[in-house]
Amino acid sequence: MSTVIYRLVYYSRNHIPDQNGELDAEIKQILERSRVNNDKDGITGALLFNAGCFAQVLEGPLDAVERTFERIQQDERHGDVSLLALEPIAERAFGSWAMGFLGRSETNAHRFAEVGTKSGFDVARLSGDEIHSVLKRLAIEEEAAAA
Amino acid sequence: MNAAAIPIAARETPLPTSERILDGLAEPVVVVNADGEIVYANTAGEKTFGVWLVGRSLADLFPYYLHSGQAATVGRVSTLTTEDHTKYIARFEPMENGLCVVSLHAGGAANHEDGPACDELTGLATRNCFMRALDVALVERGDLGEIAVHCIDLDRFKLVNDTLGHAIGDALLKKVAERLAKACRKEDVVARIGGDEFVVLQCAPVREGEAERLANRLVDLLGRTYVLNGHTVNIGASVGLAYSGSGYQGRDVMRNADLALYEAKRAGRARFRCFEFGMDANLRERRELEIDLRRALALKQFELHYQPFLDLKSNRVIGFEALLRWHHPRRGNVPPLDFIPLAEETGLIVTIGEWVLRSACEAAANWPGDMVAAVNVSPLQFKSDTLLETVSSALERSGLPASRLEVEITEGALLDDTENVLATLHALRDLGVHISMDDFGTGYSSLAYLQKFPFSKIKLDRSFVAGTGADCDAILKAVAGLGTSLGMAITAEGVETDEQLNRIREERCTYVQGYLTGRPMTVDRIARFLENGQQRTEAAS
Repeated sequence: MSTVIYRLVYYSRNHIPDQNGELDAEIKQILERSRVNNDKDGITGALLFNAGCFAQVLEGPLDAVERTFERIQQDERHGDVSLLALEPIAERAFGSWAMGFLGRSETNAHRFAEVGTKSGFDVARLSGDEIHSVLKRLAIEEEAAAA
Repeated sequence: MNAAAIPIAARETPLPTSERILDGLAEPVVVVNADGEIVYANTAGEKTFGVWLVGRSLADLFPYYLHSGQAATVGRVSTLTTEDHTKYIARFEPMENGLCVVSLHAGGAANHEDGPACDELTGLATRNCFMRALDVALVERGDLGEIAVHCIDLDRFKLVNDTLGHAIGDALLKKVAERLAKACRKEDVVARIGGDEFVVLQCAPVREGEAERLANRLVDLLGRTYVLNGHTVNIGASVGLAYSGSGYQGRDVMRNADLALYEAKRAGRARFRCFEFGMDANLRERRELEIDLRRALALKQFELHYQPFLDLKSNRVIGFEALLRWHHPRRGNVPPLDFIPLAEETGLIVTIGEWVLRSACEAAANWPGDMVAAVNVSPLQFKSDTLLETVSSALERSGLPASRLEVEITEGALLDDTENVLATLHALRDLGVHISMDDFGTGYSSLAYLQKFPFSKIKLDRSFVAGTGADCDAILKAVAGLGTSLGMAITAEGVETDEQLNRIREERCTYVQGYLTGRPMTVDRIARFLENGQQRTEAAS
């Protein structure tokens, strides 16, 4: 009997001031930590963010997903965390832990303009599944780029 | 064992290193650093908990253990439980550089002088242990407000327990404990002192604003969504904060923090309040008011006044609304706004409401024709399950036909448990009682409620009648139109001038109630009022 895989999708406002490189440093640290923790916990999925928010898809066994989410909830840098979905899924959509660094580069802004928002990227407007497909496409692109 | 007892030969044999000796022990011994990370483990430790022990944290071995620098676990004995529920008696001995030796003995609960130091579920300190730590801290540095106590209550915890079961409730408490510990510093003491009550002792010099920041953080962190065993759970936390003061004992600070917590809850929960002098006076005053309120019914201090409402077509009085008055020998006339909320909070409204219903029915039974008594019923009365019985017995005893009783409810009654309330409303209607919606236009004014239940009457809030602007006119017109289409009568409340009366007449409201058409009066003045009114109507026609 294989373990049931759950998917958790959330987004949150980020509380990191975007000045003096503070945002870059914090985000670098968050990414690094999530990579290490998620590898250890068997979590796959994706994290994307911009200067305003984080959005994540976490896939894995329920207890690992819960543990990871709780870690996020205890992190003061995340505020107003909105849980968009928590459900069992037939299979993982992500083979590994992908992180879409979504800075303010024009390429990224352009990529997200496609999703439907005209100015900047507003995760709040996307439903859980749309985020998923956005993240998925991003992950594939990242994978392809890395290959 | 003293040296003299050791045989000479043994004394001359070189001793193995301390580490070898530790490895020879059958019981696990680990050393943790200030962050709770394991920096050393003996062989028994590695055998018991796995080879890669160093680098992991004590919380990895004992999921309920919280390294929050609890005074409870330093230099003390406590029971730790592994993920597979094996219990260890752990002895914590602090060493230099923030290190601490933890020796672990497999077995049941440790024995303590006054109960366990740790709450078994959450691993936090217990109340006794907390009070000891608080008293010690007060002696050491209690004078200058350098110690802060946060009393924390979870909002809606009971609901989680009742709907998702105790296992989820327990899991939630553990996560709450974790978040508390995470938000606090090592030198703070976190304790669980009741089912869903927690307390934090913030010692070390508390800098300006630091305690407020922590209280705020606790409200934020504990109020964030929890995911427990696949369930999404949302609760809130209210926090009461109090500082130490000169000559204070533990229980004084605790009482002040409790008072502040009470105020935080009263202010709407999910927030923190700082203790202020006067809070105890407020509470005392409320307590006294409650005592008086409990006696008021027996001492016959309540009285009903009746305000007439008129049919705008015939200009005739068709009924009276019963209004509760409280005359207190010392307080004088206590305004309903001052005591109704307290009556609702304490549940006293149910018995008071019953008295109102009975008295109004009895009074109305003596009124001529088919005049109606309108009685306000609190949302709390709907929750008490006895409303239907109370109404039918009030009607039966007084002999008043059900069609002459009108129950007035506010939207508030429909907010929670809508289905049950609707069922009660339908049952009342089946008795023949009229139901009206009071204070319409304030609050949510949900049109869905009007659709869900065929109210016989909508009472438009007085603010729309008193207002003179074009928007008030528009609202008046719209609600009157709504009433006509839905087949519900409209009462305009608070009519005080002829001009207002003309306006509502133009907008085709059905009934009018206000100072202009009759002030509230005592029951004995009704007969005369009706006589005079009769004469007025006859003279006018």
